[in-house]
Amino acid sequence: MEKEYSLWADAFRRLAKNKIALVSLVIVIVYAAIALLVTFGLLADDWAQEVGPANVAPAADYLLGTDFLGRDVLKKVIYGTQVAMTVGFFSCAIAIPIGVTLGAIAGYFGGIVDDAIVWFYTTFASIPYLMMIIAIAYVMERGLKTMCIVLGVTSWVGLCRLVRGEVIKHRNRDYVQAVTALGGGHSKKIFTHILPNVFHLVIINASLRFQSAIKSEVILSYLGLGVQNVPSWGKMIDDAKQDLMQDRWWQLVGASFAMFLIVLALNILGDALRDALDPKLKGQES
Amino acid sequence: MSKNLLDVKNLTVEFHTGEGITRAVDNVSFTIAEGETVGLVGESGSGKSVTSLAVMGLIPNPPGKITQGEILFEGKDIVTASDSEMRALRGNDISMIFQEPMTALNPLFKVGAQICESIMLHQKVGKKEAWNKALELMHQVGIPNPKNRAHSYPHELSGGQKQRICIAMAIACSPKLLICDEPTTALDVTIQKQVLELIENLQKVHRMGVLFITHDLGVIGDIADDVLVLYKSKLVEHDNVKKIFTNATHPYTKGLLSCRPGIKHNPRRLLTVSDYVDADGNEKVVPAAALEPYEKSFEFTDAKNPVLLEINNLKTYYPIKAGFFRKTIAHVKAVDDVSFNIRRGTTYGLVGESGCGKTTLGRSILRLVEPTEGQVLYDGIDVTSLNSTDLRNLRSKMQIIFQDPYSSLNPRMTISQILTEPMEIHNIGESKKERLELAKSLVSRVDLEQNHLARYPHQFSGGQRQRIAIARALAVNPEFIICDESVSALDVSVQAQVLNLLQDLQEERNLTYIFISHDLSVVNYISDYVGVMFQGKLVEHGTAKEVYTNPRMAYTKNLLEAIPKGIPKTV
Repeated sequence: MEKEYSLWADAFRRLAKNKIALVSLVIVIVYAAIALLVTFGLLADDWAQEVGPANVAPAADYLLGTDFLGRDVLKKVIYGTQVAMTVGFFSCAIAIPIGVTLGAIAGYFGGIVDDAIVWFYTTFASIPYLMMIIAIAYVMERGLKTMCIVLGVTSWVGLCRLVRGEVIKHRNRDYVQAVTALGGGHSKKIFTHILPNVFHLVIINASLRFQSAIKSEVILSYLGLGVQNVPSWGKMIDDAKQDLMQDRWWQLVGASFAMFLIVLALNILGDALRDALDPKLKGQES
Repeated sequence: MSKNLLDVKNLTVEFHTGEGITRAVDNVSFTIAEGETVGLVGESGSGKSVTSLAVMGLIPNPPGKITQGEILFEGKDIVTASDSEMRALRGNDISMIFQEPMTALNPLFKVGAQICESIMLHQKVGKKEAWNKALELMHQVGIPNPKNRAHSYPHELSGGQKQRICIAMAIACSPKLLICDEPTTALDVTIQKQVLELIENLQKVHRMGVLFITHDLGVIGDIADDVLVLYKSKLVEHDNVKKIFTNATHPYTKGLLSCRPGIKHNPRRLLTVSDYVDADGNEKVVPAAALEPYEKSFEFTDAKNPVLLEINNLKTYYPIKAGFFRKTIAHVKAVDDVSFNIRRGTTYGLVGESGCGKTTLGRSILRLVEPTEGQVLYDGIDVTSLNSTDLRNLRSKMQIIFQDPYSSLNPRMTISQILTEPMEIHNIGESKKERLELAKSLVSRVDLEQNHLARYPHQFSGGQRQRIAIARALAVNPEFIICDESVSALDVSVQAQVLNLLQDLQEERNLTYIFISHDLSVVNYISDYVGVMFQGKLVEHGTAKEVYTNPRMAYTKNLLEAIPKGIPKTV
């Protein structure tokens, strides 16, 4: 008998053949590792220290120069990575389970359940997003935790809508009907049959959600609603407002490039993962 | 003799893909004269559609490429023609009708406007004139009341009417050559008959040459003058239709002719192409006994074939809701007061046109669709009143095989997962290992290889997938199986193999079938009893012999008459 691989094992085997995706995976892992090291105080813990004169352009001693207080910009970028990755990860960890669960329930059961969920998310989505974030941010204490929650609970609607539609499409497919005929229950149909066929959407959505959360963090920090007292890419870009007028570009470039790299890597990785998980594309990768 | 319209010489088309070079059409030559219909027959993948695309100059390049030969249309080579020359030719001198009228029409435009578009593309006429011409065309293709109908959107028309619109578009510029790519495959027999007659009449009026592509030799017998048989990209037979039907020379053609069940005499087991041709393409001798017509016995006794399934006044209505509060304003009566019995070990054929409710009836019996009213007694148990636990237990006895093997298997599960899952649900087999052994014996039983278990559904052909679906149904050791158009999507030769398999399984396991199909010849071959459905009602039923030889209802008679005879009229 030919060797049998599970869908995921097989997906990773195929992902490994895609060089660009592999590089992206490495980038994501490196970012995650940095974030973890910073969290445990093993890296860039001394970001607040003055390391030299203020506003020095990048040089051998300070690879990304220093800011107006003489702090190392590279260390601030590294510390900002932790903030960005945390926001990205936790907002996804909140938004995706909510979106997938509600979407699957609404799509699968239909009827009144569907009506109720659709009513709920339509109402929810009609509140201007930024207003809601600002409101929640003011009610709760400003900071990293608040931002994760705020971004998480405001970003599940799109995914929910998407999953609901796909589940409705798959619910009536013959292969699901066949499971009914074979005596499979609701949970079997939802979890082992429908959701794996919808999962590529979740992956794509997760990679988009992750990077949009990172970008939102930047915007919120820029608006002064983000993290307090620690550096983040958004705050660095905000700081760079004044810097740019005096030709000090390094803070902006440092933060922007760090963001650009992770956003690009996540995009490519999500795309590759979706292809790798599709058994129909087997044997077609270069 | 009229002059040659199309002259294809030594045509070879290759597809260059990452996996290598595939020869889709290999050295094919034929001609079509004015007013002549040439039938092109072959199974899927034999190169018939590629041939027609080559004539239209529509081979996707890359990966496709015409590597050899020429296609002369009125003496001009299409292969070397420029894009703009081809555009002038397409739709004007050569036009095409596709298989699927639902997708060949743009759902956003009114059908009248779509016909106008193809007129205005090639003729310098104003909008008003084009519209009048479109109405005239609609009248010509037999659409009643064109003035109103021209304002309809495609979804408002029936399948047959849509195909008529496609034909109207195709003949809008009085083409000299009409290519029909399986134009009736998606249609019911009665509609098929009308469409075929329409094409024939139009051909006579316009003196068109017609290239008619189909996998159904029955249709070819009705319409074609000459027949080309494609097998594995090669032209294996090219002859007058009469000769093909009476005196085919190539074993593949012989196989093709005998694998389709007829309306009258059939052998006990259907012959397949593999009975005529071996794996290397050599001819095999078919024993005369295998061709012997087999007379079925329609004697059933309560002792040997007790009643297994009793359906009493079954009704399945779908509510039509309207308004803000979604009030039910009417019902679609998909199944309307149907009663019949099925004996154990027999096959009940259910026929009718699309939309008559036969599929809904099948699904209502299994409670895949909840029936509105009535009773389904399975071995004395009322299926309609079972709670979900009891119903789940009963499901192992009642199974279904769907029409489309592409959508009935979960694309993200391997074959072994697909086959062992039902065993897990019903606790068949002690361990994972034992279930895997059972799965192995199942795939062997349906003539697949055991090492295929690790593969995913998309790695199989349609016929193989249907075998997998059969194996999945068998995994729970059912007594009763509903075959819902289970062979309709398959090539005739594959269809014969699957029908043989179903019959063997019935004998081995004393299975009871409901066989739902729009194909009356197949139902005649496989069924002991036949029920005819029309608008949700069972209008006629009896033994297959009674219904087919002596139909009582006019509707049944019409259906039976519409079946392509499978023999040329002149024979």
